Amino acid sequence: MEITELGIAEVVSKIKSKELKAKEVVESYLKNIDKLDKDIQAFLSVSSDYAVKKAEEIDESDNKVGKLLGVPIAIKDNISVKDFELTAGSKILKGYIAPYDATVTEKIKNEGAIIIGKTNLDEFAMGSSTENSAFFKTKNPVNLEYVPGGSSGGSAASVRAKEALVALGSDTGGSVRQPASFCGVVGLKPTYGRVSRYGLVAFGSSLDVIGPIGRSVADVARLLSVISGFDPHDSTTANVPTGNFEEYLTGDIKGKRIGVIKEIRDFSIQEEISDAFSSALKVFENNGVEIVEISLPHLKYALSVYYLIAPSEASANLARYDGIRYGFEGSGENLRDFYEDSRTKGFGKEVKRRILIGTFALSEGYYDEYYLKASKVRRLIFEEFKKAFDDCDAILTPTTPTTAFKFGAKATPLEMYLSDVFTIPVNLAYLPAVSVPFGYDKTGLPIGLQVIGKWFSEGELLNFAYVLEEESNV
Amino acid sequence: MKIDLERIEKLAVLRLDESEKESIAKDLEEIISYFENLKEVDTTGVEPMVYGEKIELVLREDVVKDGLTIKDLERLRELFGDGYFKVKRIIGE
Repeated sequence: MEITELGIAEVVSKIKSKELKAKEVVESYLKNIDKLDKDIQAFLSVSSDYAVKKAEEIDESDNKVGKLLGVPIAIKDNISVKDFELTAGSKILKGYIAPYDATVTEKIKNEGAIIIGKTNLDEFAMGSSTENSAFFKTKNPVNLEYVPGGSSGGSAASVRAKEALVALGSDTGGSVRQPASFCGVVGLKPTYGRVSRYGLVAFGSSLDVIGPIGRSVADVARLLSVISGFDPHDSTTANVPTGNFEEYLTGDIKGKRIGVIKEIRDFSIQEEISDAFSSALKVFENNGVEIVEISLPHLKYALSVYYLIAPSEASANLARYDGIRYGFEGSGENLRDFYEDSRTKGFGKEVKRRILIGTFALSEGYYDEYYLKASKVRRLIFEEFKKAFDDCDAILTPTTPTTAFKFGAKATPLEMYLSDVFTIPVNLAYLPAVSVPFGYDKTGLPIGLQVIGKWFSEGELLNFAYVLEEESNV
Repeated sequence: MKIDLERIEKLAVLRLDESEKESIAKDLEEIISYFENLKEVDTTGVEPMVYGEKIELVLREDVVKDGLTIKDLERLRELFGDGYFKVKRIIGE
């Protein structure tokens, strides 16, 4: 069996028992990067020397401990790794070297993970196809003519192409789950507050969460166990028990209840995805799960709510990029001209578009009608989910209305935004959700299904995904 | 809906060039019109939601730790030197 076929548990145990060298593992993945990444372009930077050096240290050490010992991991380039360049996919940060580790980076390093490179993303994580990266477009490893999804497109593509064993992404409106779905891998958006955002480049602070991407539910569960937990550096993290999420993967879901959203019929969904959705419900039924209908009448407003709240928060978060403290600098006759020039030339079009929407929604005369109204409807959506979870343990939806699309296929920004229609409500309600691969369409593109769980129920949630994974492997 | 793009540009400290201006104005109008559906939702008496349900004040011990050193900072930006951030000389204001 190829080394790159092994899951985290096998890699770690083989390295511990000296059956396998960490260096062999890292080199197998680096070989794939060498061979494949000139076409896929998942990576903005590959840290080969660093990775080999870290692997040698593990092989030479007598103290072989760590839940991720010798595991090659790719990190989305909006997460800080000390001494590594951090671009967030933007020209405005070009040349910026992170002076500290994000909390998640520190945690994975402490468990022996080896950072193999930083992955491409839509600029500041704003996009659904990775086409908005200021540097280049990442291709979908399943079919290079299609987008990998976004904004964590590089992370999902690297895992699918076996250029990394697992990866970290960030999810503000679907940015882990949608690319995971498009690339046929597993992607988890944890509950808001489950994972620290310290060291993550801020986009929408009430929505952003860092999440794991892997080729199996077990790998995702292991990585989540490592990165989750309260962090004094992020006061929005929750002080709740974390534990070992792999222990939940029993395959026993008998007696549980899965919710199907009544209003989902109002959305247009690709036929093969609807079929996959129906067969997944059958799988659950065969496993002794009760299917219940739930109603979320305000679901249809989620997209409007999100595209007001996320850009509003972004317009405030991105105010810090003024050309003075980071990377790119413009020119100007006076200070205001200098700021304007730096921001105008440093940001790409989609980022500017969102800053302008957010600025508009927060501006005098429009604040009540737009931002405040959206925040109120957000509560209605939240309350509806809460009520729905009285009647079910988790909710099943497609991850996306269609499978991956071709480059340039989305003619307007609004069309692009609509591809996140099933993932966005989850962020608005702070909930956890996982996208799990479940078959292919007739073009051969992966289909992903989304399981949404109650707050802080990631263990149970991953067990539902585990059952679907087992079934689709048959 | 017509939006005053110049006012928003000024507030956002951005200056679109002419070619961008037209297409972005069109996009914004399309997107903002899409938001109009929120008007049909009755939100009387609904509290806006920002940071989840439970808002707890989290305190931590005030422990003195090492901050970033000048050496760390030097790599943040090419134009760092002599212990200062070097910026261009700004004429005017």
